[in-house]
Amino acid sequence: MSRSFKYFEVQLKRVMKTFPRQMIVNLLVCLCVGVLMVVFIRDGLSAQDGQKYRIGVVGDMSDSYLGFGITALQSIDDSRFMIELVTMTREEARTAFEKGELYAIVQIPEGMMEAIESGANDKRISYIAAEGQKGIGTMVMGQIVDVASTLVTRSQSAVFGMQSIMLEHGMQEEFWEATNALNLLLIELVVNRSGLYDVEVLGIANGLSIEGYYFCGILLFLLLLAGINNSPLFTRRQTDMPRFMQSRGVGAAGQVAGEYLAYLCLMILCVVVIFIPLYLCLEREWFTIPEWEGMGAEPLTQFLPALLPVTAMFAALQFLLYEIMAGVVSGILLQFLCGIGMGYLSGFFYPAAFFPDIMQRLGRIMPTGAALRYVNGSVAKEESGMAGFGVLLYLAVFLVLSVYVRRSRIRRG
Amino acid sequence: MEMELAGIRKSYKKKNVLVNISLSIGKGNCVGILGGNGSGKSTLLSILAGVQKADGGAFIYQGEDLLQNSSKIPPVLGYVPQGNPLIEELNAWDNLRMWYDRATLLQELEQGALAMLGINSFLKTPVHKMSGGMKKRLSIACAVVARPKILVLDEPSAALDLVCKENIYRYLERYKAEGGIVLLATHDMQELELCEQCYILKEGVLEAYQYDGDLHHLAGKL
Repeated sequence: MSRSFKYFEVQLKRVMKTFPRQMIVNLLVCLCVGVLMVVFIRDGLSAQDGQKYRIGVVGDMSDSYLGFGITALQSIDDSRFMIELVTMTREEARTAFEKGELYAIVQIPEGMMEAIESGANDKRISYIAAEGQKGIGTMVMGQIVDVASTLVTRSQSAVFGMQSIMLEHGMQEEFWEATNALNLLLIELVVNRSGLYDVEVLGIANGLSIEGYYFCGILLFLLLLAGINNSPLFTRRQTDMPRFMQSRGVGAAGQVAGEYLAYLCLMILCVVVIFIPLYLCLEREWFTIPEWEGMGAEPLTQFLPALLPVTAMFAALQFLLYEIMAGVVSGILLQFLCGIGMGYLSGFFYPAAFFPDIMQRLGRIMPTGAALRYVNGSVAKEESGMAGFGVLLYLAVFLVLSVYVRRSRIRRG
Repeated sequence: MEMELAGIRKSYKKKNVLVNISLSIGKGNCVGILGGNGSGKSTLLSILAGVQKADGGAFIYQGEDLLQNSSKIPPVLGYVPQGNPLIEELNAWDNLRMWYDRATLLQELEQGALAMLGINSFLKTPVHKMSGGMKKRLSIACAVVARPKILVLDEPSAALDLVCKENIYRYLERYKAEGGIVLLATHDMQELELCEQCYILKEGVLEAYQYDGDLHHLAGKL
């Protein structure tokens, strides 16, 4: 039996001695992160579902026709699920806007309704939003205001046109009845507009649902954290053992191979143990992601082997970091900071699509970015060739660097 | 001569750590190398053990230059570094199993080198619970696997109590008696009594020294 294999055996025995302790810590971390994940996703989704743009309406509200319009929007129009209109004074609106309680303010100018009624249309509604809200929401709001203005002026033209024709033809008796009927018809047309479109949500990254995306991100973050426990095992404070091994004919590559494989076995075991409660949750449908809806825990069994390359790459990354650091505390700190930093940039906690372009690019080329894309692809059951290649490339690079660092430490003494 | 060092050189960033180190050692002899901290003793021993590479020179054993063929060093030479090359989480048995097959280990524990080093008494003790003396004896036990002909020790009895020192010295005496060659770097005067030859390593240059028990004189030379 070669010395390297014997060394691996001994290292395996060594890491397995610490396995129970590490498993307890990992399960606790897993439990905390799992609870956070469920709360986060559920809260996020329900907040997203129930989220409304709260818009303050200020200005000349004396006209009953305008009041009726706002009431109609709030009670029968489809926009009531998205927009909450609150009538308030200018001062109240300003205070609420400054506190961030209002998304925007719609200001109705003095004499607006009179102008509409007389067909002048020279008064303009102001839509006030904050500087930082130049997003899709503001754009949609602007469009809605435009649509409303167009609808009002076109409806107005229709009503005035009809009234002129009726007066020309001496139809005074039916005048108001016909006006009301046309107004109601126009309102009905506006209210029923939702039948014109269909909204399809494609997901936030690689076609994954938000639950699927966060499932991947948080699972990878857990994997990154799982290595922190191993700092006392692999952080090199002294070089006596590596130097002795070298003198016995086991060089840096053999040492790194033996230690890394033992560490990888431990990590795989950690992943399997983490997957057991996850399997039970999925099987009993306490938790699921839309991509695996109705399939029970079966997709998880296919997902586990797909996670192995990422586990191997993360283990290699952690091994390299431990190899570089000389102290346990600094090893833990470095692991933690790297985990948080790389995870954040790669979109583990927040979809990277919302980041600036340069950060997105940086996040994508990081090991964590490659891992996330690969895992996203596995969950979505899509080909993830390039991402898989990236993961394997990083794995090789980290191992080669580990050997290089070990060799220089042996020689430096 | 059984073992010969010829013109071994080593430098770090233009600093000459070893300058033409040459010496010869016969079978069953012990050579002690004295020197202040940072004088290059450990560097010399680690070069002989194949841990570091020399810039030049030869380490000849039975007519073959081992520096040119470092894969031949492990079966010939046992190296005990200054610290303890042990796995702290495991016990003595597990540490030894890395180097010995089961049958040989049991035999050595029964009546071989390991019995002499007294390993049996702490075979099941985890390394992190061992005393300094136990660790050092276990380190030597790991190094003498396959009965190497040369044993290189870097300050073997530093910070050990008298009983442990005595145990190690007795082992080294027997090792010499069986024809082994011992090369040790030391600060310890007791260890010098084991040595047939002494050398002082100062500013990279090795100089023969005859220790006559005059510590004051020796200190002046270092």
